[in-house]
Amino acid sequence: MSQQTATTISRRERIRLFVLRTLALGAIWVLITEADPGSLAVGVPLAMIGAALSVALQPRSLSAVHLPGAVRFAGFFLVQSFLGGLDVARRALSPAMPLDPACVRYPLRLAGDGPRVVLANTISLLPGTLSARFLGGDTLEVHVLDNHESVLADLAQVEERVAGLFGANLPPLQMGGDS
Amino acid sequence: MTWETIAGWGSTALFAVGAFFFFAGSVGLVRFPDVYTRLHALTKADNLGLGFVVTGLALRAESWIVVLKLYLIWLIVIVTGATACYLVANAARGSGLEPWTRERR
Repeated sequence: MSQQTATTISRRERIRLFVLRTLALGAIWVLITEADPGSLAVGVPLAMIGAALSVALQPRSLSAVHLPGAVRFAGFFLVQSFLGGLDVARRALSPAMPLDPACVRYPLRLAGDGPRVVLANTISLLPGTLSARFLGGDTLEVHVLDNHESVLADLAQVEERVAGLFGANLPPLQMGGDS
Repeated sequence: MTWETIAGWGSTALFAVGAFFFFAGSVGLVRFPDVYTRLHALTKADNLGLGFVVTGLALRAESWIVVLKLYLIWLIVIVTGATACYLVANAARGSGLEPWTRERR
């Protein structure tokens, strides 16, 4: 489970993905243009190009979203991204400008390219954390605005929420030892 | 009080809150010491500010399809904003730019 398999997606699966994504992008187009029939001449080719690109750039593995996990994730994300904006606004406007930044290395438990992309993007919108880069050896480098002691534990909690979004289970956390 | 009056005042209040977060994000962009801290300010504050503006606009929307459209735009901005933020931070780290730190005591 934790090992990333490098199997490629079959041709049949690619065609299925292309059709589904064309339909999904087409639906977004219809929504954005408020179902203007004249715009379909542009929208249909664009949806097909977008779907073809996304299939071509698809990482090796596919990860399905788990619906109850997605609902819990949405609630968590809304609250935490609100706190994230509030926290950074407070630091920016405070005359003392309280900052104690650092880069920390977070050992990833979450496997799969798709879930890791979601994790990296989520981290960047939560209070005081920002994904800086993926290092080799399953490590994510995170820039933090305030290098307090519970940073790694906070990141572990975010990782668990993202794992829940994909219906995955994470191995137990190994805390302590370093730093 | 009619729904139009409540929605009108509510949306005006939401615009003001949204504008406050855009302002705070811009102050962070100017005041913060390096590229990484500035990315924090822009990404998080602007995302939140847009959420308030979009909600304010949704209160004034004439149909549910416009409401869906507004929240879809917010979702797309969140995803592209976080992705762009990662790309900038990644490029800065890759070019060896060290993060600003407070002097260790």
